Amino acid sequence: MTPAQPHIPRRDPAKMMRLSRLGSLHQCRLSFMRILMRRMAQENWQFSRPVFDIDRKGVGRAVYTAMGPERAYSLVAFAHDLPAEKRSDRVIADAWDTTFALFDGIPDESDIERLAENVPLQEAGRVSQRELSLSRANRSARLWTHVVDRLASGQQPDLQQIEAVGYLMRTTAVYGSGKFGAADRDVISDRAEMQPPFQAEMLSVYLTRTFVRDLVNHIAASRGGTQAVSLDPAIARGLGIGNSTGLGMAPFIVNHPILFNNWMMVREEAISRVRAVARAAPEDVKTFGQLVKQSILSVEHWRSEHPVQLDKLVRLKADLKTLAQHLSSWDATVECPWNTLIEWSERSLSEEGQELVASLILEPYGALVDGLAGCMADGNPDAFRIDGSMPVSAVRALLQECFGWALDLDWSDPANCARAWYVSEEKLEPRMGERFEEPIAAYEQPLAPARDAAAAFSALEAWDPADTVARFLLQHPEHRHTVRRAQMGRVAPYGEIRDNTISTSVMPVDMLRAKLSFFGATHFDPRSDRWVRICMYAGAPYPEELTPGNADLWVYPETAT
Amino acid sequence: MNRSLNEIEATAKRATRGAGYSWGLAEEASKATRWLSRQGQDGVAALAALLDKGLAQPADHRPCAADEVWRNDGDLCPLATGAFLSDCAQGLRSGPVTMQRVAVPLFILPFAANAASELRCCVRVEMDGQVAMTDGGNLQCPDVLPELAERITVQTSETAPPWRPRGAQMCPDPDSWDRLAVLAHRTYAPATEESRLRGAGAGLSDND
Repeated sequence: MTPAQPHIPRRDPAKMMRLSRLGSLHQCRLSFMRILMRRMAQENWQFSRPVFDIDRKGVGRAVYTAMGPERAYSLVAFAHDLPAEKRSDRVIADAWDTTFALFDGIPDESDIERLAENVPLQEAGRVSQRELSLSRANRSARLWTHVVDRLASGQQPDLQQIEAVGYLMRTTAVYGSGKFGAADRDVISDRAEMQPPFQAEMLSVYLTRTFVRDLVNHIAASRGGTQAVSLDPAIARGLGIGNSTGLGMAPFIVNHPILFNNWMMVREEAISRVRAVARAAPEDVKTFGQLVKQSILSVEHWRSEHPVQLDKLVRLKADLKTLAQHLSSWDATVECPWNTLIEWSERSLSEEGQELVASLILEPYGALVDGLAGCMADGNPDAFRIDGSMPVSAVRALLQECFGWALDLDWSDPANCARAWYVSEEKLEPRMGERFEEPIAAYEQPLAPARDAAAAFSALEAWDPADTVARFLLQHPEHRHTVRRAQMGRVAPYGEIRDNTISTSVMPVDMLRAKLSFFGATHFDPRSDRWVRICMYAGAPYPEELTPGNADLWVYPETAT
Repeated sequence: MNRSLNEIEATAKRATRGAGYSWGLAEEASKATRWLSRQGQDGVAALAALLDKGLAQPADHRPCAADEVWRNDGDLCPLATGAFLSDCAQGLRSGPVTMQRVAVPLFILPFAANAASELRCCVRVEMDGQVAMTDGGNLQCPDVLPELAERITVQTSETAPPWRPRGAQMCPDPDSWDRLAVLAHRTYAPATEESRLRGAGAGLSDND
């Protein structure tokens, strides 16, 4: 008889939804690129490159097709000759080294011609319901030149330079879900392979990485002729695709409370399931220990110049040392060993370290947690609908539950509302400014749920607690978005950031990191308080290498032993 | 030009906010416009027509809650009225709701659909003698509805009509689209050199 599984509750949203915690999250088994890689390997997807029409200077087009059991998807890639002075990661750029669309199916010549007229223009062009994403990437100028020069002259690139950057190109935007005319989410959400979030975008980036490797080999061969060599597959394997993400992504997690809740709740559910495992098998303990060693290596490769991240990295490295020491005398034969480990981490490690351990304990337990990948999409459109029959007293209780901490804050104090989120006329992209120094308050976006909750809570105070919220909202439409969010909280306990998103000390990169960690990104490198570079797919097998055996743990770099 | 439903929803939200509505009602307008477009109606044209009527200031254009018949001194805005209808969906169980002088009555239908989804039944909307039916996911609707309905009656219905789904309307009237774009533009802060650098947060060289 197996011992009864103890119930270990999910971690408290009041703790998990603080910005500093969200800004310390790490990828895990349930990150979107890992879900995609597992599926493609398990289903034995076939990959091909039907078009590779690139000239000696590296200008031209290519098509990469990924064929699943029911459908095919194709990355249509365009390579351009970009002058160095035009190379910018900013969303206001208007030219790129390479541009891409993910086509739904296998494109014919007329599809490719249509895309050739639009994709290189990015936001200024139009795509169609046949396209699932639109994206672009720029070279890492320093590494690209080095690698091409070396390969062309018959040498492999210098490993230190490879490690210092980690990728040959970085994407600067990957648009999906109906942007610029592309297919709406509804078009693909019923397909098993597209049901988890952002699978089309993750596939696009995975194929982009393959294209970039092929392109660098092609250009080196064109330049070096018979002298040139191909990039060593082991070095290529370590290269990811960079990504440079600005503020535009931060409002996403505020604007999609149900979706973001599902990501967080699934990860928390997975963690609580593993904590509840009564007895750990020795091989699972061994896997965990090995991945800790590999994580130490990964963190050693993690570069940043930002003082806040540098400080966090110092603490994370110290955490890993403490963890390694702890594991050397850890008794994993006790009941619920993973729970004791998590409790120890909460006493002994920084938030970065705690979240790394929480992600790592999931690794040996795919059978227990991987099925949760199907619960990460937002399949609850009805949550948008307000229940107007709810009494005023119940709405106040919901606001109190999520935003109790915010209700007594002095929201007129400039320190508490120094910032305002707005959309710029120039690129229609979200930005954050200084409320008291710039003329932006009139354009403010509703991205301060805590402040708005405090205002609604106060307005509701004047109403009969037994009255319906429908009648309140008829008189006070200005609180409608807040009441909606409060009611969503009933099904989305992790839907609200429990912090002030407009304070003088807010760090939008925390919001970016939370989202990017669910993509599966590593090596977060903030370039400012609102701009971050990351790496994706470093270590991943290329399409021709992908097997069920290597589809999962590639994210952890191989150690020498 | 073809627009994705996502683009229609996003533009509708910004335009409604630009026309002076609260964020919460702008959210309702955006979902309603998307729903109408999904049902094969030109929700964009209907929204543009509505926003040009200037009914955003609520006091004169929302139903007075105490009245038996929903009405006010001015024409009722279908966003404020529709949202109230959706919020009070449970009330339809005890009898019909009657409204007077509702502008762009097409915009009542997405909210009637909300009520149908909430009550898991069909909802029948009679507008000056013309009848539309919805079960939340389907719509049967006359081809042309007036700019203003003198009298609308909303009630639950035991029977459902045979649904004849129409393809989504993803080529909205271009002039209406442009009109929404102009209204949406009011929500965008003019760019300054400072905001370019500071607001987005870059400023470092990317050519590395």
